[in-house]
Amino acid sequence: MEGETPLLDELEKGRWPSFVKEIKRAAKKNKAALDLLKVQELSYKDKITHWKHGGIVGVTGYGGGVIGRYCDQPEKFPEVAMFHTLRVNPPAGWFYKTDALRKICDIWEKYGSGMTNFHGSTGDIILLGTKTENLQPCFDELTEAGFDLGGSGSALRTISGCVGPARCEWAMIDTLDITYNLTMEFQDEIHRPRWPYKFKIKISGCPNDCVAAIARADFTVIGTWRDSIRIDQEAVRDYVEKGFDIESVVKKCPTEAISWDREKGVLNFVAEDCTRCMHCINKMPKALRPGLDRGATILVGGKAPIVKGAYLSWVIVPFMKMEPPYMEVKELLRKIWDWWDENGRTRERLAELIERLGLKQFLRDIGLPAVPQIVYRPRSNPYVFLRR
Amino acid sequence: MGEVTEELKKKILDYLKTVSKAKNKDVARAIGEEKHIVDKAIAELSKEGKVEYIYLGASFVKLKDST
Amino acid sequence: MARTDIGPPNYRDMLPEIIKRNYGKWKYHEIIRPGVLKHVAENGEELYSVRVGSPRLVSVDFIRDICEIADKYCDGHLRFTSRYNIEFLTDKKENVDRIIEEVQKLGLPVGGTGNCVTNVVHTQGWIHCHSAATDASGIVKAIMDELYDYFVSMTLPAYVRIAVACCINMCGAVHCSDLAVVGVHTKPPKIDHEKVSALCEIPTTIQSCPTGAIRRHPDPNIKSVIVREDLCMYCGNCFTVCPAMPLADPEGDGVAIYAGGKVSNARKPPMFSRMIVPYLPNNPPRWPEVVDVIKRVLEVYAKNARKHERMGEWIERIGWEKFFKLTGIPFTEHHIDDFTHAVETFRTTTQFKW
Repeated sequence: MEGETPLLDELEKGRWPSFVKEIKRAAKKNKAALDLLKVQELSYKDKITHWKHGGIVGVTGYGGGVIGRYCDQPEKFPEVAMFHTLRVNPPAGWFYKTDALRKICDIWEKYGSGMTNFHGSTGDIILLGTKTENLQPCFDELTEAGFDLGGSGSALRTISGCVGPARCEWAMIDTLDITYNLTMEFQDEIHRPRWPYKFKIKISGCPNDCVAAIARADFTVIGTWRDSIRIDQEAVRDYVEKGFDIESVVKKCPTEAISWDREKGVLNFVAEDCTRCMHCINKMPKALRPGLDRGATILVGGKAPIVKGAYLSWVIVPFMKMEPPYMEVKELLRKIWDWWDENGRTRERLAELIERLGLKQFLRDIGLPAVPQIVYRPRSNPYVFLRR
Repeated sequence: MGEVTEELKKKILDYLKTVSKAKNKDVARAIGEEKHIVDKAIAELSKEGKVEYIYLGASFVKLKDST
Repeated sequence: MARTDIGPPNYRDMLPEIIKRNYGKWKYHEIIRPGVLKHVAENGEELYSVRVGSPRLVSVDFIRDICEIADKYCDGHLRFTSRYNIEFLTDKKENVDRIIEEVQKLGLPVGGTGNCVTNVVHTQGWIHCHSAATDASGIVKAIMDELYDYFVSMTLPAYVRIAVACCINMCGAVHCSDLAVVGVHTKPPKIDHEKVSALCEIPTTIQSCPTGAIRRHPDPNIKSVIVREDLCMYCGNCFTVCPAMPLADPEGDGVAIYAGGKVSNARKPPMFSRMIVPYLPNNPPRWPEVVDVIKRVLEVYAKNARKHERMGEWIERIGWEKFFKLTGIPFTEHHIDDFTHAVETFRTTTQFKW
């Protein structure tokens, strides 16, 4: 191995932990990892990828969860001629007991390259690279260990949620329970792709949106509240006495809902002006807390640019209570899927379909009321299709 | 929502014999059943190893071992 | 027959005892030093989280190493963040220093909290992706080697989220990050006509093109397609549905750089990242030109932004014209949008800076 990969060896240097060291570590025990290292070195030399997508591979009964991958130079790198990846659905919030992680490690050492991603961008555990014949036995052992595959292709992708009430005082909704509950309810939708394209659900406990739900999910659930934030004036004064620059915080309130009365040492707050952006709460977590009438704002359509451009999710339900068993949200999801599946073209994400047919039509077909919270501002043109 | 019957499954398999592949919604339309129930039946057939999903930019289902 | 549809393990079985006891009952938190969070529950119990950077692409032995630390100090529990950091959770304050010592022995940085540059969300790149226009792990490593000090400290005006995507599919929140690197192809697909007729559905392939650049081959005997090169903007959507149309090209492929996006609703609503550099060539193993732009923009931001201002908020306040002036990045015709949402970006006021 020594000296064979001069370009990658450069990336063993430096202070940030090195993925090259990790591949080399796996390569000591595993021939596929060694070939992976060599293919990567070749890519660094050639400035081009050496992977092809190819035939359909998978496990019995599922239409997804495995990404088929082949090397374009199989003679040179026989150990990675087939190099398929398994997406494994992680526990909500990415909490693990070490015995569960060790089981995955043992299984992957036995059947795969020994290389992983903790985690992929959508949140799956990624088991990187194995041969077709290993997929089924690997999957069987994973399910024995209590794990199952995540989504791929035109299916519901692995649902993710933020750390939520497990370790965050700002969780307005039980993101972990919602993630787990919806995941269990929609196993069929995750494992058997049948829609126009992929569909992502992400759940954030508050408007800080630590899982980027608004940017990356077709169906975005973000915790919020309807009453006033709670202020501990004593704690506010304590911040100020310790030299905290409260003016800099107040100045950035987007709606001027808070102001600092220096004379009286009181933080004034107008609840009806607050748009719950989290700014002041973020800066003074000991003194300011979200309200108690909690639920979620539901938004749809977030996605990256491919094909018709990037979209941030749009508000469709300003407030929904989120209590188990989450019937309202499940029913809404099913209606949306049916509408999209019925009207959508191949590879048309929900946002693109809504833009093509109109948000008005979408709301009407789904049966949601038009309320001003849905838009920034009303239309400026007169082209209304009035239906009398 | 109705139940998946053996009769429904047979109808689906019979239809799939006439095409190389089809989307779930086309199967439902062709045999005149609700999509919900067809989705469910196809999932069961897939677990039984009688049909498989293929992904060609869009998702299709086809009889296993027929090309 | 194997079991199917069992779903993931129940998260409840994975939670540490202190979290089970205080689930939903957290009162507030503090960052007691970079990389260490202290959460205090309503009942006064304290939970310490030590946040540690990971390269994401790791061997099973790496996972075993961190499991060993978690067994020693965290009763066998750990978690990962949405940005690939590892978190060691303990209710024993005295364990914090021991955990830090152990992870540093493994060569892992402690940080990623507060006003820092935290771990870079990224994709597979040349490691595993068929449509990659660049590598991801390598660029991340090169950037983070250079920005390491910002990971282990909290000195920035606000936090800075960086993302790297190896093609414009952008698997990762690249389109809404403070700074982002995106792999781009710059040459139209090379069509293998024989393979097209064998592997691809012609109508699906034609339909996949967002600009209508793909047509049926004029010769009816050839069951394939052609690409009108003047209409192609190298998005690669056709390649995803038809593997016989690869775009990758060693000379043409490279990266674009974006800035000013965010997903949080704090202060300003979420924003898209905007293109600041249309193209830089791939220069492995360390992409010095890319690292240079990222570092330069970060430092100009750190010096000029006001407290609490995210990258995009700062730029919107001073104006993009000022941003290009301050960073010295040239503004070109390529920065002017000519795709689907272009007109929203045209200036409709006489208000601007010189």
